[in-house]
Amino acid sequence: MENVEVTKTLDVRGEICPYPDVNTMTTLKQMKKGEILEVLLDYPMSVERIPRGAKKHGHKVLAVEQVEGPNHRILIEAFGLK
Amino acid sequence: MIWTGLLVGLLFGFALQRGRFCMNSAFRDIILMKDYTVFKAVAAAILIEMFGFALMGMTGMITLNPKPLLLGANIIGSFVFGIGMVVAGGCASGITYRTGEGMVGAMSAVLGFSVILLSTGGGLLSPIAKGLQEGSKIMTPDGKSLTVANVLGLPLEITMLVLSIVIAAVWIYFAMRNPEESYDTGKASLSDKIFKRGWSWLLAGVVIGLIGIISFPLSAATGRNYPLGISSGWAAILKSIVSDTVTIKWDAMLIIGIVIGAAVAALIAKEFKLRAPAPGVLIQTFIGGMLMGFGASTSTGCNVGHILSGVPMLSIGSIVAGISIVLGAWVAVYFFFIRTGKA
Repeated sequence: MENVEVTKTLDVRGEICPYPDVNTMTTLKQMKKGEILEVLLDYPMSVERIPRGAKKHGHKVLAVEQVEGPNHRILIEAFGLK
Repeated sequence: MIWTGLLVGLLFGFALQRGRFCMNSAFRDIILMKDYTVFKAVAAAILIEMFGFALMGMTGMITLNPKPLLLGANIIGSFVFGIGMVVAGGCASGITYRTGEGMVGAMSAVLGFSVILLSTGGGLLSPIAKGLQEGSKIMTPDGKSLTVANVLGLPLEITMLVLSIVIAAVWIYFAMRNPEESYDTGKASLSDKIFKRGWSWLLAGVVIGLIGIISFPLSAATGRNYPLGISSGWAAILKSIVSDTVTIKWDAMLIIGIVIGAAVAALIAKEFKLRAPAPGVLIQTFIGGMLMGFGASTSTGCNVGHILSGVPMLSIGSIVAGISIVLGAWVAVYFFFIRTGKA
């Protein structure tokens, strides 16, 4: 997924539960349709929960990648709730 | 035979880490994200334990030991515990296994938790806890702990057995009528599913339920007649470190096992790394841990002792404590996330 143009990057590495999820969802809410959010995180539980929650809210999960160790990168296309 | 505590702890820690099993998430996600995944894992574990404890009780392998109802202490203590786990970002089992994952925020919570556990158990804060406990103890006329069974005049083991089967049957019936949407992204080998990926809620719930079942006779064999619990073990570890009484028994070995087991699971899945949030968040998790310590000691149990171990034995005290933990968590979620517009 290197050819995707990231609109915004959210770095929640080090954050405790549930801030990775909460920050991701509120950021997505503020984005326009088709904009891409890149989330950088290292909390394993949120790596599984964020894609689940994003899909539930109509956003499109483009990729979930393990970068190194617990560091993950999630790419989400905003549904455009705004 | 306290080494069996270490063994059970290793399994428990491994399962907690792979299953992402945390009751803070389980209860919080229901209102914050409308996500029932982790809650279903908790419910599955409770049902399996209820069934297993009942069978072991009937065959005489164990003597069931539901906690007594300490009405005021259970309500107030567990409510404070529920608030604390939202502030700390994890329940008692959650902060313990995440310590093994290398999360410094969880370690900070564990420290606050352990210190206040000791203080409430026998230190500065103990008069408050004792006052709440002694003033509100309610037992049966013949001096037994109140359970759903003896309140209704039924034998405990049979009630547990029937109830677990009935609830499981109803659940399976509705689950089959409304199959859940799978968000699985691609295929994985069996070993990858066990060691690399996060477990499904069902696998996590079943495995943790089974660990709860084997924990009971093993712990009872060392004189501690109770299944899984977190708080007493952390208190014993801290006490052994700071005083001249070494109190490393089954419960403390369990904790050591959980931390190591979770670390091993995280290392295999390449999820282990020492990582810390901002200093302000570290203070927040420390304070959250302190609230949890006060709550668990006052209510004579954390989320594991009451919800995972006490609810399957139908202890009224544990059921009241469990409800209070959930309500405390929801009130905290409301004030910290919903009202502030963060979610």
